[in-house]
Amino acid sequence: MYGEDGNVREHWNYLLDSLQSLGPEAIRDRHKKAQRILRDDGATYNDYSDAASSKRWELDPIPLLLDSDEWSQIESALLQRADLLNLVLKDIYGPRDLIKYGVLPPEVLFSHPGFLRACHGVTLPGDHQLITYAADIIQTKDGDMRVICDRTQAPSGAGYSLENRMVMSRVFPSLYRDSHVHRLAPFFQSLRRTLSHLSPGNELPRVVVLTPGSRNETYFEHAYLATYLGYPLVQGQDLTVRDGYVWMKALNGLQRVDVILRRQDDYFCDPVELKGDSQLGVPGLLDVARSGNVAIANPLGSGALENPALMKYLPKISEHFFGHELRAKSVDCWWCGDTDDRDYVLKNIDKLVIKPTFRHPGLRTVFGPELTPDERDIVRKKINDNPARFTAQVIEVSSSAPAWDRQQLVPRPTVLRSFAVVSDSSYLVLPGGLTRVGGDEASLDISSRAGAVSKDTWVIASEPERIVSLWDDKVATDRLAQRADMPSRVMENLFWVGRHAERAEGALRLLRTVFIQLNGVRLPQQTHLMLLRAVTHLTATYPGFTANDQALMSDPEQELRSVIIDGQRPGSVASSLLAMLTSAEQVKEALSVDTQRIINDLRDNLSEMEEALDSGLTSAPEEALDPTVTSLLAFAGLAEESMVREFGWHFMQLGRRLERALQLASIMRAMLVPLVPESEEGSILESTLLSVETLNIYRRRYYGQMNLVGAFELLLMDRNNPRSLIFQLERVRKHLDALPGAETTTGLSRECQLILEATTNLQLANLQELATPEGDEGIRSRLDQLLSRTQRLVTETGIVTSDRFFDHTKGPQLLINSNWDHEL
Amino acid sequence: MKYQVRHMTRYCYSAPVTQAHSMAHLLPRETATQNCLKSELLVKPYSATSSRHTDYFGNNVCHVTVQSTHREMEVTALTTIEKSPPEQNLNLEIGNSIRNAKQQLGQANSIDTMLAREFVLDSPMVKASLALADYAAPCFSEDRPLLSAVRALTRKIFDEFTFDPKFSSIATPLDDVMKHRRGVCQDFAHLTIGCLRALGFPARYVSGYLETLPPEGQEKLVGADASHAWLAVYSPGEGWVDFDPTNDQLAGEQHITTAWGRDYSDVAPLKGIVFGGGDSQSMEVEVDVTCLDS
Repeated sequence: MYGEDGNVREHWNYLLDSLQSLGPEAIRDRHKKAQRILRDDGATYNDYSDAASSKRWELDPIPLLLDSDEWSQIESALLQRADLLNLVLKDIYGPRDLIKYGVLPPEVLFSHPGFLRACHGVTLPGDHQLITYAADIIQTKDGDMRVICDRTQAPSGAGYSLENRMVMSRVFPSLYRDSHVHRLAPFFQSLRRTLSHLSPGNELPRVVVLTPGSRNETYFEHAYLATYLGYPLVQGQDLTVRDGYVWMKALNGLQRVDVILRRQDDYFCDPVELKGDSQLGVPGLLDVARSGNVAIANPLGSGALENPALMKYLPKISEHFFGHELRAKSVDCWWCGDTDDRDYVLKNIDKLVIKPTFRHPGLRTVFGPELTPDERDIVRKKINDNPARFTAQVIEVSSSAPAWDRQQLVPRPTVLRSFAVVSDSSYLVLPGGLTRVGGDEASLDISSRAGAVSKDTWVIASEPERIVSLWDDKVATDRLAQRADMPSRVMENLFWVGRHAERAEGALRLLRTVFIQLNGVRLPQQTHLMLLRAVTHLTATYPGFTANDQALMSDPEQELRSVIIDGQRPGSVASSLLAMLTSAEQVKEALSVDTQRIINDLRDNLSEMEEALDSGLTSAPEEALDPTVTSLLAFAGLAEESMVREFGWHFMQLGRRLERALQLASIMRAMLVPLVPESEEGSILESTLLSVETLNIYRRRYYGQMNLVGAFELLLMDRNNPRSLIFQLERVRKHLDALPGAETTTGLSRECQLILEATTNLQLANLQELATPEGDEGIRSRLDQLLSRTQRLVTETGIVTSDRFFDHTKGPQLLINSNWDHEL
Repeated sequence: MKYQVRHMTRYCYSAPVTQAHSMAHLLPRETATQNCLKSELLVKPYSATSSRHTDYFGNNVCHVTVQSTHREMEVTALTTIEKSPPEQNLNLEIGNSIRNAKQQLGQANSIDTMLAREFVLDSPMVKASLALADYAAPCFSEDRPLLSAVRALTRKIFDEFTFDPKFSSIATPLDDVMKHRRGVCQDFAHLTIGCLRALGFPARYVSGYLETLPPEGQEKLVGADASHAWLAVYSPGEGWVDFDPTNDQLAGEQHITTAWGRDYSDVAPLKGIVFGGGDSQSMEVEVDVTCLDS
């Protein structure tokens, strides 16, 4: 930010003045607001090593400013480098002139596991093989730009840049507006256009984004970009190869895929030709790409360019291809496979950063200055044992930019990741990019993986810019082709989101009733026991309270607590919520932003509930459960109010209704089937009604008079009660009818038949008879039969539906004698 | 000489397979000394589709896809091939010395040499080690011609190792082969390759077949009526020369080359992925090599 004269560069003045006049208090507020938006958007950067946690994406509220001079330096460097690496990519999977004519030592290419020999000769149409490219760039203290690494496999970060920009424009609207910042949209427009053009001949190409799944560190970005670009987000299992093409398994059959925007490492993409035991891959994918029937961007094999040793030879390669030197300079680097380089590195280890030439278990980037003498010796030994595996770079300290540190601006080193995408016959650079900030003034490792905070990057335009929308006419047309296409895996997850949400909600309602009764008036003995047993039945946490354990019944606290917050225990509220959150995470792109916010709330509710219950149930009033119930209600309400009535919605609601029907049947069997002393009939009935939200209407109708038949009517037959059994069954039927193949010329689908049978049984029942005990077992056996039959039919409906619509193919397995495939 | 080769592989699964994708290195490539007259791949079930391409190493590859449910898959390669005798009078005792070869490998002045350097590096199934270098070193004195040294190495392996089909599986690690001093043709090929690479020489794996009929009065050659494997070494200026350590000889007119690569993993006859198939699969292989001239 400082010029050579030591003064603040001119383009920073406006920002600094504005921040000055805002004052620290206001900046702090804006920062908080930014954090809230990021949280609401579910912006995360996952940590591979810890599956349970996902780190929230961090944004520094102070943008990095670049004026047109600085920017044009970066832009031209990136363009030149993208062009060069594109030629390298074409060469290494084609003629390999760089090797033949001694420009690149053979070992640099051939010992790199990213060089996938199976990809030889597989090309995309057009001049460009490298479709997207990113580079990490630092500005040295002298003002020079230096590239510290190239990203060519599936560069991440452009989506995060976009998210950062959205947040900044909301948090500092006027500052942003008045700063004349270059817009990001044209870059993404270009990406869309380029991907469409890659399509093998289809007029309305179907483009999908391939992700390794929600465990991936940048999964947020995959979902975010898929949504922003309007492409389905798919995993390997959602795709299949048939008849020489790639297809997406959608609800109404296979849909042909023309272009794949790849966010999964190439090595994992096809177990037939690449990593044999990859469960993430699509068997046969590479051969389809080879025949030109699908375009993959970036192409499989492009990871070979992410080779730090290659950087050393780029100047020579530039001479070879362009006949002139490389302006887009890298930081100085040494490849230990070269004897002179190795000697230099061994002598100067304390000044260098040592990087593995390729990813290898047990090898990671180390910074010489941070190592103890013993550690340096270990590194030296490793280098001597296998020199080609190591590349070293000089540690350039990047120039500082202002960053926000709680209450003040502080200078911090920064690294900019800049992005390029093919645009017609050349590349287009994203004006901006993802800036990462070092944790302190002397930070060496500045990366998202190391936990660096991000910054929005503002390229200041010399004049206001014309506004371009992402959607041009052509794009609007191909969007049509994408309509309603989602892999059936997404449907399955939505189905389970619905089921788990309802399961958690039902259990919470019953538990709340138990709390109210426990903490309030002393309940009659029988009612108390039956309520506790109902908890076990409803949550299926057997044996629990059904074990007739006297001690447990008189001191139920610990068991109740476990049924709520023990996430490891199947059936507990926490386990249902976690299962719901996991399914929701899988289909992030199919949920609205508001929904995302509620998902976040639920995550918080879960930990708050745990805290509240930690101090014992007696001091934790039933209110401890309320926020979770409220969030679940909000979730249900949002689905009702803001989800488009597509298959996804039907599946989610279907899951919900099936589950509610099962729960109601389960509670009624536990509470109303056994006969109790007349004195307790009232309290049993009230508890039951309370736990299924039907008590008030019951009281209103019957003025508090005991009326069992009336209660049965409300619980079973009343079409106007959204909690009644018939209501659930009829809704289930409605959702089933909306799915493909519900009724054909050969009759009703199996699941429709099942639910029709359940509905008919219910309607044929006589309430008076149901209420009357029969036989000498002391139970209402007719009611029991009806309910257990309903449970069976509803369960079966769920299974049949799931079998019919969801893909349960077991993962691919290797032909015997192919399992030699271990990594180098 | 004209040969006919039939190589049949049959997979049986314990449960139905709904989809199979596989890749075959079964149709021989053309070389300086062999010419394919006929070469085809037959697959059952008949609904299977296949496509061909030439791989990175120049081998013929067939992709076979079966999309209908099946419990059994049979892949048969049928080839008629014409072999001409290798270059006459290759005298191993006069040629590039080891010292020269090493020096030339380090220079960047020959396209063939630059490309051959790929085969000095470790590959998925063959990793150079000090133990391998030590084992081979006695054969490799600096002034000896490289090819003569390789011939000596293959003889040493032939003498000191036992051919034992029961010992080896596809993925027998070289360490085990070294320790037990036994193996099959693949192991001996890998072993020789590992030794050569450990000393810094390019070596590649060659898969193929060997004619069955022994000349009268001589012992029958091992590896007949099965697929066979040997190796080739690169000597700067002299090119690639094939050695068969299993039979203690140079590969000759009876050696029919199918494919070559860095090791077995690059040229496995058949590999792939199935959906379904249950917990157990079985595989059967039949190979016939018939000389059509007699």
